[in-house]
Amino acid sequence: MKLSRRQIVIATAVTLGTAYAPNVLAQEKVIKFGMAQDFTKVYTFVTAEYSQGQRDYFTLVNERGGVNGWKIQAEIVDTGNETQRGIEAYERFKREGVLLVDPLSTPVSRAIVPRALNDKINLITMFSGRSDAADGSVFPYVIPMSASYWSQASVLIEYIARQEKDLKGKKIAIVYIDTPFGKEPLPLLREIAKRRGFELLPFPYAPPGNEQAAVWTQVRRANPNWTLIWGGGVGQTVSLKEAIRNGISPEKIASVVWLSESDMKVVGNEAAKGTLKYEGAASGRDPKIIQDILKDVVAKGKGAGPQDLVGTSYYNIGVLSAALMVEGVRKGLEISKGAALTPQTLNEGLRSISKFTAEGLAPPITVTKTDHQGGGMGRVAQWDGRRWVAKSDWLSADQDLVWDLITQSSAEFKKGN
Amino acid sequence: MFYRLAGIRHTNYLKARQLFPLQFDRLLIGGLCVLALLAPLYLPSLYLNSYLMPWLLWVTAALGLNLLMGGAGQVHLGYGAVMGIGAYAAGHAARSGIPFEIALLLGGLAAAIIGTVFGAAALRVKGLYLAVTTLALQYLVDFVVLHVGAISGGSQASLQLPAVKILGQSVRSDAGLYFVALAGCVVVTIFMLNVRRTSLGRALAAVREKDYAAEILGVSAFRYKLLAFWVASFIGGTAGALLAFCYYKAVSPEQYHIDLSIQMLAVVIVGGLGSVLGCFFGAGLILLAPAFLNQLLSAVSTGLGLKLGTDLMTHAPLILYGSLIVGFLLFEPLGLAKIYDNARKMFLVWPFRHMRR
Repeated sequence: MKLSRRQIVIATAVTLGTAYAPNVLAQEKVIKFGMAQDFTKVYTFVTAEYSQGQRDYFTLVNERGGVNGWKIQAEIVDTGNETQRGIEAYERFKREGVLLVDPLSTPVSRAIVPRALNDKINLITMFSGRSDAADGSVFPYVIPMSASYWSQASVLIEYIARQEKDLKGKKIAIVYIDTPFGKEPLPLLREIAKRRGFELLPFPYAPPGNEQAAVWTQVRRANPNWTLIWGGGVGQTVSLKEAIRNGISPEKIASVVWLSESDMKVVGNEAAKGTLKYEGAASGRDPKIIQDILKDVVAKGKGAGPQDLVGTSYYNIGVLSAALMVEGVRKGLEISKGAALTPQTLNEGLRSISKFTAEGLAPPITVTKTDHQGGGMGRVAQWDGRRWVAKSDWLSADQDLVWDLITQSSAEFKKGN
Repeated sequence: MFYRLAGIRHTNYLKARQLFPLQFDRLLIGGLCVLALLAPLYLPSLYLNSYLMPWLLWVTAALGLNLLMGGAGQVHLGYGAVMGIGAYAAGHAARSGIPFEIALLLGGLAAAIIGTVFGAAALRVKGLYLAVTTLALQYLVDFVVLHVGAISGGSQASLQLPAVKILGQSVRSDAGLYFVALAGCVVVTIFMLNVRRTSLGRALAAVREKDYAAEILGVSAFRYKLLAFWVASFIGGTAGALLAFCYYKAVSPEQYHIDLSIQMLAVVIVGGLGSVLGCFFGAGLILLAPAFLNQLLSAVSTGLGLKLGTDLMTHAPLILYGSLIVGFLLFEPLGLAKIYDNARKMFLVWPFRHMRR
């Protein structure tokens, strides 16, 4: 039989039309989360790994029957790290009735903060966003649930202090990207330097940080005992490469949380051996929760991405954030006595998370109505050439100084409103 | 047939010189104005506050840049910074208790002063060289904002803004803020429609075509180049302030980054240099297309039950977006406004094709 063009067109249209019957008919009990993240511009592979972890964990929860029968549905949209697209996505999510939004982007989350506070929708800003959101009394709906950059700096200094016994007279350099994010730890480090008696040497480099040669020759001349690197994306790998080129031992370099297996591959797995970093969630496949995902999700072919990324640092951070969200849902359902959650009851749930470790993936995290940081704990991990090995137990330090800065900054925010 | 040209005779200068001599155009614009005024009644707040309002604000800003680029022929790569200056100046003014209306003007004024200082480079350099000097403005402003905590608002570099107050009445609702943005856009649009018919507009056109020829005609290139920067920066500053107050409700450096400058440039070029209508089309494409393409793709994929990976779902809209821009410019290098103009010219005399001019 010979088909005319017209018949083919009609046939295609009919097939497409029938296929297009909206297939979301199931009247399931669903809880919606909005993931408006940056897949394409700045955070790129960070988001890809983080989001994969989140989705795999949600699949795990849903496969096991959800949270008291409630299934988690995560809507994902790309914002390109642009504030206006983030706001657009947030407003659309609001209309679709999501209970929380997770932008994983400092600029986007900061742009959403005024709206989220106003609309009473939970904004999760794990390892990103405003550090002063730790003050739950001023930011009731902005919940980082993770150690702020200030706390991360304090953990790193505490670790260094334990190695050195006494920090008096020692020199600690910080090489940071010259943006609000990079400059954030400086006021805290100055205070800690005063308290512990070491000398702080700040070295800024221009964003995006692909050229740092001049900075590192200065660092070499200053000859610090320890060096902190504070950047994200390309700046981090360039920092490490330049440091190694200038003969600074990676074992004396400690990084903010944003350093991953992929970064180490860029620097050179062997060359970067010994590099230290702050860790907010355990890396690797050992934690039970990751084993469960491998067994019940990935092995059944339901994984959200490439299998070899399972267990990387950012993947595990994604799993931790998803686990905290789900724990918030569980607590929220306890509060609402099984009734459908609203953003308000989820907020109460999230803010009553207590000593939650995600089965050994993270330090005990306790979120309260006043403390959204969850304790500010973390540990230091070292790159052994293949993976990150924990070098300390979960610890927190100098939280009084951290909280001075938090309340100071949140008071400033309050004044502006 | 549609425009009913027959029988239209302009018997006096006033009629002949009106902005829209054809009744059809007047009706069309009147209809659009009515639609815009009634938008809060029929549009859900999502469309009002995340598509329509930012679109109007972007158009307002782009119109200012278009005066500079299309009107006076001066390239500007730091227009985002100009908008940022306006936003920061107005923000700090409003935070210190100055009424919103005056704060807005102060924002415009601050942007105009700084913008003109950098515009002075235009007196010496042209074209690509000017583009680079204006780019310096962008980086300088970014640097100063980041390094002066008093401007950026402390370690979090985010300046919270008080609510918009018009004549002492605080405006908080979506509809209210939309009308503020609409008012700003209408004022600037009317100004831009008329500026071409004034001595300023003609002088700018003369400078644009050849500045020394303009000098020979007695048009001071020195004066009019600076004036073009002054006016464009003032519009940019107020538009930036409106964008901050109505839409972002806070000012932070990344909102007025180099990205915004590039996007504004794209709005003007894709829309059509020198065209008022072009700014509307251009802003529509550059600002709104990414969001709509995202939604379109996700609707199609969920509707068809396709299981597309996140990588494809997030990158495909960008590919489409880029090809839309390139496609439109290949189809009509003079911009989207020219496409509309071509269609309009066709329908003016349709179906008598031979009458087309």
